[in-house]
Amino acid sequence: MPDNSNTDNTAAEPKPKKERPPRQAMPEQAPEDRARNFQEVPYGYTPELAMLEASRCLTCKKPKCVDGCPVHVDIPGFIALIQEGKFIEAAHHLKEQNALPAICGRVCPQEEQCESKCILGIKGEPVAVGRLERFVADYERASGAVATPELPPKSGKRVAIIGAGPAGLTAAGDLVRMGHEVTVFEALQETGGVLVYGIPEFRLPKEIVKAEVNFLKQMGVEFVMDFVVGRNATIPELLEEEGYDAVFIGTGAGLPAFLGIPGENLVGVYSANEYLTRSNLMKSYLFPKYDTPPIRRERVAVVGGGNVAMDSARTALRLGGDVHIVYRRAKEQMPARIEEVHHAEQEGVKMKLLTNPKQILGDDKHRVTGIECIQMELGEPDESGRRRPVPVKGSEFVIEVDTVVIAIGNNPNPLIPRSMPDLATSKWGTIIVDETTMATSVPGVFAAGDIVSGAATVISAMGQARTAAATINKYLHGEEIVVPKPA
Amino acid sequence: MELTINGQRVSAEANETVLKCALRHDIHIPHLCTHPSLPPFGACRMCMVEIEGMRGYPTACTTPAAEGMVVRTETEALRELRRNILGLMMLEHPSACLLCDRREQCEEFRPSSEKVGRTTGCHTCNNKEVCDVRKLSEDLGFCQLPVPPLYHFRPLERSDPFIDRDLNLCILCGRCVRVCKHQHDTSIIDFVGRSSISRIGEAFGRTLLEADCRFCGSCVDVCPTGSLADRYAKWFGKPDSWAETTCMFCEEGCALHVGLEDGKAVAVRAVDEDKPLCVLGRFATAPFMNGTERLRAPQIRVGDVLREVSWEEALTRASEKLSACKGGAFAVVCDTSLTLEDRYVLKKFTTDVMASPNFIISVPDGNGRAKASLPDGVTAVLTTGDFLTETQRDALDVLVVQDCYPSAILEKADIVFPAALFTETEGTVLDCRNTARPLHRLTTPPGQARTDGEIITALAAALNTSGFPGNDRATLAEAAGIPEATLYSKRESVPAAASNPAKRSAWFRGHNLALLVGGLKSLPADGEPVAAEEEASLPTFVPTDKRIPFQVLSKQEISPNNHEIIFYAPAVAKKAKAGQFVIIMADATSERVPYTLCDWDANEGTITLIVQEKGQSSRKLALMRTGDTAAHIVGPLGTPLEIDNYGTVVLLGGCYGIGAHIANAKALKAAGNHVILIVEARSHYLHYYQEELASVADEFIASTIDGSNGVKGHSIDVLLRRLKTGAKVDRVIAVGCPFMMKTVAAETAEMNMPVLAALNPIMLDGTGMCGACRVTIDGKTKFACVDGPFFDAHLIDWEELKDRRNAYSEAEIGSLLRTEPVEHAHHAHGHGCGCGKS
Repeated sequence: MPDNSNTDNTAAEPKPKKERPPRQAMPEQAPEDRARNFQEVPYGYTPELAMLEASRCLTCKKPKCVDGCPVHVDIPGFIALIQEGKFIEAAHHLKEQNALPAICGRVCPQEEQCESKCILGIKGEPVAVGRLERFVADYERASGAVATPELPPKSGKRVAIIGAGPAGLTAAGDLVRMGHEVTVFEALQETGGVLVYGIPEFRLPKEIVKAEVNFLKQMGVEFVMDFVVGRNATIPELLEEEGYDAVFIGTGAGLPAFLGIPGENLVGVYSANEYLTRSNLMKSYLFPKYDTPPIRRERVAVVGGGNVAMDSARTALRLGGDVHIVYRRAKEQMPARIEEVHHAEQEGVKMKLLTNPKQILGDDKHRVTGIECIQMELGEPDESGRRRPVPVKGSEFVIEVDTVVIAIGNNPNPLIPRSMPDLATSKWGTIIVDETTMATSVPGVFAAGDIVSGAATVISAMGQARTAAATINKYLHGEEIVVPKPA
Repeated sequence: MELTINGQRVSAEANETVLKCALRHDIHIPHLCTHPSLPPFGACRMCMVEIEGMRGYPTACTTPAAEGMVVRTETEALRELRRNILGLMMLEHPSACLLCDRREQCEEFRPSSEKVGRTTGCHTCNNKEVCDVRKLSEDLGFCQLPVPPLYHFRPLERSDPFIDRDLNLCILCGRCVRVCKHQHDTSIIDFVGRSSISRIGEAFGRTLLEADCRFCGSCVDVCPTGSLADRYAKWFGKPDSWAETTCMFCEEGCALHVGLEDGKAVAVRAVDEDKPLCVLGRFATAPFMNGTERLRAPQIRVGDVLREVSWEEALTRASEKLSACKGGAFAVVCDTSLTLEDRYVLKKFTTDVMASPNFIISVPDGNGRAKASLPDGVTAVLTTGDFLTETQRDALDVLVVQDCYPSAILEKADIVFPAALFTETEGTVLDCRNTARPLHRLTTPPGQARTDGEIITALAAALNTSGFPGNDRATLAEAAGIPEATLYSKRESVPAAASNPAKRSAWFRGHNLALLVGGLKSLPADGEPVAAEEEASLPTFVPTDKRIPFQVLSKQEISPNNHEIIFYAPAVAKKAKAGQFVIIMADATSERVPYTLCDWDANEGTITLIVQEKGQSSRKLALMRTGDTAAHIVGPLGTPLEIDNYGTVVLLGGCYGIGAHIANAKALKAAGNHVILIVEARSHYLHYYQEELASVADEFIASTIDGSNGVKGHSIDVLLRRLKTGAKVDRVIAVGCPFMMKTVAAETAEMNMPVLAALNPIMLDGTGMCGACRVTIDGKTKFACVDGPFFDAHLIDWEELKDRRNAYSEAEIGSLLRTEPVEHAHHAHGHGCGCGKS
């Protein structure tokens, strides 16, 4: 992964020979500044930088990058348009396959997907597909030239989408473009799911999510807020009483996992979900303008090594804390994107690696005073292929903190499965689907995203949602659907 | 002159009353309306004594001591009389807590007062820790009321700046009326009306503001109950300690008595109780010192933005910039709101370090506003506040600012140093009579802020100056010829600013105080732009057939502090089941807060909630009017109460739980249970829904702590009595405050009887997503929002629940304390607030 923190673009002048310019970095806020504000970290490409970066693309005949993309965006196609300076057209082209490009350009792990397949990446550095995607989407939005695509005639079929997160929004966008009437049900007060409650403002400005949702509204998608499927209506009721022809479940993995160590219910211990929701969705960092009280504390330990842990740590930093990440394996084994780890370190998050929490300590008022950890060392590889961390005997030590954020993952939310006993679920609580169709064990009910795969990424949820939308379309046209085999 | 009190020979001074004489000799005589700063009044009759040769029971506070008097202060007859007097007084004061058997456990469980709208008991009273009435009732062994008490249901008065009034706590001792007259020779407030409707108030029903109140706060200081409260200080309770320093808001230099807690100023009073402070000293000091916007870290300019850096880096950058502009091009600009020591250091810095003659002290005008004029050729300025015009700023090459709050001047600043304020600084100031007054460092500056002197000394060091005076106060004082300072505590008169609001300063260090201390907005001083009157133009609610989701269809304060709100929420009503709750956001910036569903009508699409005003979010709901619309209501949430035919089920309810049991009783009765509903309240006027409750249960029993309605005691006491008689109870369900439910759990711990309690911890989403509502049940973590709200009461970790519920109570003060008048902020006396004004 290149260091994209450098804002020095002078070295990027194309040389007279047919030599390719280097991969272009995005200008961004300096770590010293951004570590204390909630504004987005990168400023994004300028048109000049975007064209320069686009000029690196070989526009392969058989583009491998497209295979790497869960939603199969025509990457060379939109990059070719950027090369010509046709930014708006590029955006429209991109939107044919991806309803949420401004979001994906920011939060997809491109280094594992499209960019990992880029031919240029074999010898040098791949084309910065994500940055280009982000650029055209931002360009279109800023220009105000967001066009509503032409919609086919109405099919007369109605689809209920549960959850306005990445999967739900993607499915809604696809289905409405197939001519179906789409209603999205959302339990929270804002649309976006994890995009608004989980991913912080400095990584994904909420304005962008709003704009993408508005785009869906423009196309006729209806949003019903403050509606909890499983409480306000069950799925059978949606199908039988409310007149929906198909239901798509995209409720995500919204049940926080805890460590199961003593002291986890002390005041000052948060799930990453709660910590991020307070800050992102409830805007507690703007307290007292917003009523939700802030979680502004002095010393914070974030337990975990994934992207959510990085988001929590960087949020804590911005709230004025001295922040440690406590992770039981080595840095190379962190599941977070390298770029995120790098950003966090740059901003001043301290890494306590090979460190496993044993218990959280508190005072007589049940307030956190510290976290007791034990040093780990790497042993034999485990089933995941990563070397298993083993505790070093007698190496216990205490980090004095007043806040602990547990960011070790989420489990699927059981609300819907509990309200629908005949929906087949796995022992982890995920909904069982046929992976080629995303159909569940109940006819007319489809699912995608983290409720199917456990906690994964935004783009994989979107990829599955696209598959599901295509299947729903077939289903609504009376085609036979492959359903999961009974367990 | 000598007299005998309780057999003890004591000497009296001339013109001394019996009470004063006794107190001086440490002989305690109970008293209430008497106050050291007020002349005798004789209103409360509490200090009655027996004096040989005098008829009846004269009041010690009005009887002059005389030679040879024989006084008895502690006879059984007197004690009985006093208890009766107190009993009568307590008939119009929420006094049930004083009579409660479980008061000690209650106070152990909730040691600090809870935030609340109306106070109906001691545990929610902000005066709890310093209450004269409580002390008296303990002294006298007060244990019962002669007849049921009266609650006047007077509106909360929260539309004035700085002072909250709840006259339902008032015992008409008249201290406030007298102190106002005594100190200001005016009667902003007085007794209004006669006999049972007599109350304290302003003429013609005006507000304090309209009545020309000076907001000196003396009435708050002398009030023996919680009726009058300092809107800022009240949430902090009794300060840990008090210390003195000098006020620097203007050049009057009054001594301040500062209440301290955790290194913070939380309250301020006059040192001389007889000579009140002006509104700035009294009410603005603490909020100004603790303002959330205070500059906390040094910053340097990088491109367009100011970047927070370490002191070292900021000082280095400043010294680089300043070393290039020594001489006449440099100027220091400050005003007189600096200590003499700091001014000396600044002057030394100007002349010795920067070799410049331009040390400019801009003298503030009558309102404290200072603007400097710069000599020609000045291109670099170090300023201690916003004293420059935009044109002056723009003409500069280098601008170093050391200040306490951000201002427009920061837009041009190259380096910003965070400066300490006057309760954070040690030194000497000169008042307008040229007398030196001491400043004491009582509080900790926010973040990394330092005093002005410290900043300049460090800057001189960064500029490699040798021989620059250090920060040793004594040396500085000697070098600068600073006279010894004395506190201005024994003043002869009330400061002009306290008697005439137009004379108070409106600016400090170049900052408009009204923008930094909310309450000042409604109190403009001379020369201050009057904030545009935000006339609350209230849309009149016209009932129509068309209902909007989340609209308030009806709203009433059904008993003190309990608001019944009926919302139109068809999606909720359609699916609601007994025991479930909703999460509400009153407006787009609100918290998400859970409320139990009391009742609903699926056909009408309505839901009924009981909302207790206990903090910012519930306050917003309590201030809603019929026709208003909440931003979000989501529900029904939570696992419904398990309904089966258990046999005999006892429902215990308190506070909001009284209403919540309507649905539970209905469902249980429908399933064939014999439902006994026992509801408790502190006093009869706190009960509500009695008829409805009686109609949905097989047996209905109301209890009160003060015995004024139904059975005396808590609901659990009623149950325990019944169990003693051998009654068979198959299940108990308690809904109420955690203390009530915890008590039920404790009292039934040994019995082999299922007891459920409904838990209501802090929640965010209410669907299991965040885990904020974690509770420990039998050592295991459960989510109250999806696994609850009902749990086995005997297995709940109550202490943890209590502490988790209070996790944000300190932080929440921040939002309650914006010192904006509450009712103004929302709407002035809307239809639903129950005050009768419109």
